[in-house]
Amino acid sequence: MNNTQKFFSILAVFIYSAITIIPIVFAIDRLILVSGFNPILWIQSLDQNYVSQNSITFTFVQAFFSTILTVLIGFPVAWVLGRYSWPFKAFLRSILTLPFVIPAIIAAMGFLTITGPYGLDVRTDESTWWWTLIFSHAWFNIALIIRFCEPVLSTLNPNFEEQLLLLPNGITFFSRLKNLWIPILTPSIAAASCMTFVFSFTSFALVKWITVRDKTLESTMAEVSSSAGIQGYMESSSDIVLGASFIQFLVLLASLWLMSFLQQRRQTKWQQASELFVQNKNAKGWFVLVPAIFFVQLPIISVILGSFRVRDVSENSISFKWSTEGWYEAFQGSYSFPPLSEALFNSLIYSFGTLIIALPLGYILASTIHQLEENNSNLSRILEIYTMLPFALSAAMIGLGVMLGIIKLNPSAAYDFRFLPVLAHVIITVPFVVRIILPALRSFDLSYDENAKVLGMSNFSRFFKIKLPLMKGSILVATVFTLAMSLGEFGASFIVARNSEWITLPLLIDSLRGKPMKDPLTVPSSNAVATVLMLITMILFLIVEKFRNTKDRGMF
Amino acid sequence: MLSCLNLSKKYGKILFNELNINLEKGEILAIIGPSGCGKTTLLRCICGLEELDSGKILLNGDDITKIPAEERGIGLLFQKPVLYPHLTVSGNLSLASFNNHDKALVEVGLPNFEDRDVDTLSGGEGQRVALARALLANPNVLLLDEPFSALDLDMSIKLINDVRALLKDRSCPAILVTHNIEEAKLFSDRMIDLSKI
Repeated sequence: MNNTQKFFSILAVFIYSAITIIPIVFAIDRLILVSGFNPILWIQSLDQNYVSQNSITFTFVQAFFSTILTVLIGFPVAWVLGRYSWPFKAFLRSILTLPFVIPAIIAAMGFLTITGPYGLDVRTDESTWWWTLIFSHAWFNIALIIRFCEPVLSTLNPNFEEQLLLLPNGITFFSRLKNLWIPILTPSIAAASCMTFVFSFTSFALVKWITVRDKTLESTMAEVSSSAGIQGYMESSSDIVLGASFIQFLVLLASLWLMSFLQQRRQTKWQQASELFVQNKNAKGWFVLVPAIFFVQLPIISVILGSFRVRDVSENSISFKWSTEGWYEAFQGSYSFPPLSEALFNSLIYSFGTLIIALPLGYILASTIHQLEENNSNLSRILEIYTMLPFALSAAMIGLGVMLGIIKLNPSAAYDFRFLPVLAHVIITVPFVVRIILPALRSFDLSYDENAKVLGMSNFSRFFKIKLPLMKGSILVATVFTLAMSLGEFGASFIVARNSEWITLPLLIDSLRGKPMKDPLTVPSSNAVATVLMLITMILFLIVEKFRNTKDRGMF
Repeated sequence: MLSCLNLSKKYGKILFNELNINLEKGEILAIIGPSGCGKTTLLRCICGLEELDSGKILLNGDDITKIPAEERGIGLLFQKPVLYPHLTVSGNLSLASFNNHDKALVEVGLPNFEDRDVDTLSGGEGQRVALARALLANPNVLLLDEPFSALDLDMSIKLINDVRALLKDRSCPAILVTHNIEEAKLFSDRMIDLSKI
């Protein structure tokens, strides 16, 4: 590492610490100042307060069932998609994995439209919304199972299965299951399940909108966040936030450790082959794929159709008509809500602001980790874990961290600083950028750089003429991922910007849907905004798909 | 022992047409020909991994043409040894038989290799383990798809001699496909040039 690289590395670590870690530390310090340092008391307070009662049990139980259902639905899809050849396979894969990039609030709108009075009208008892929540989590996370398992199946050297067919202990399907498929797929299924559990555990938008009474730790935290960290005022809120975030931190940390362990096991020496080798056709597979496509597309289509379907209330009956009134209302705005264009502008500003900070910061951090791997592997590992820390924090905690951290530094900034959501989005996206760029740097062939060196090219020239063009795919994926995550981010934005004048598209959806249901335009207008956000993320997703490497075995 | 009658297969172009092969007990046959002439496809059809367009395969007089690969009792050694990386050498041998691992490994010149991880093996060692496993399964016929081609010359000559001796000891009939005529001469009792049929 030369002096210029050292300077940028130290600067990146300093900036990362200043904008991500320090606000969180300030926030925790503030909350502890109010509540005192007693983790057991924090956890006990969760069941002692009416607002957070049963949230621990509910969080674990719903996450568990969501994970089970996700595997049950996702694995057969991954199996038939990976094992057999399909017409337009890349397109099929894209539409089946689309839900993962759709913001959770849109998923919530989709499932509400399907099950609510504008759809099947089955939101009548608790069992209905319980299963709606579990299915919506399965819908959201099905892509994880497909992304983790399908590449393993589609790129496995077919000789492994063929060789087993010709050996006495590979004759039956069950013996092949035992000797081949279980060993090769278990780490992938476990890693995907682990991530599904984490996402369901920290689910906010879906829980907020689909459940009637029960709350997860995340939604409880978001609910009481406005009164947390204030001495002498509703101090139980600080206990609840600390208790919830403490449990979440432990669970997420354990999950991260498990994920990292499972990821290492997934990087085994199983030889991969080109996807083109998988030539078998299986018409029966359509019985799995068609219902899966229907399941995946239904909430998306419901949101689009729901934006045009307006309730027509007359004296004697309720009927529905097709109309653009919802769109008009969304674009027009009102005294209570800004127009769609304003929220869209805010969202785009925030996402580009996030990109400008998170991409170079994440790239330099990844590059620093990579260079340290050669000279100082311990320091490299410490820095890698340090950059992954925000993964162990939920979005609500990050939002709260930014809010309380800024209040501690400059109280008026919490209300005057328009770009506050950018800070929260940077904290959330930098670890993803590092995770996308680092493998690309590791797989970069050093001989390209060495050859450029002996040709007399400078550091600057080598970076722009050699490294950047060769890594453009990963950088583009990181760019699009950062934009999409920032655009659809709800949990942290809800805490940081919900009461501000600079609300984002997800916050506008949340606000519009929160209007009384007797207003016939409540559902169509929120669905109209959701459609706009969905179309933007879908376009971004299609760009990512074009540059994604099928051999990356399910990474981002 | 093994009779292939009028075998035909095409993939865009005709790979082999009305091909007849007879193999006696203990006989070793080499099929030679340039890359892409259909040698590997022929082996895959004989062991049942691919379907023939037409023709019949008889093993000890029984028609096995429509019998699935896993029930034919025909072994195959791939060009690159297919060893399962989640299993040790012994674990890989267990896929063929749970007994006589030590004896099988001694036979292929790898004594005390039972507990080795397969990713620590060299190319030649890996191919020997794959051979030990194939022989432990007691195949009716062993098919060899250029298993010596990835090895250096000294190693391949040694392995060719060892494998031939082992097959002759057991009177196990075998078909080797290769594009290397010297290798074919050294290993087999007779040769067929697929490109000239």
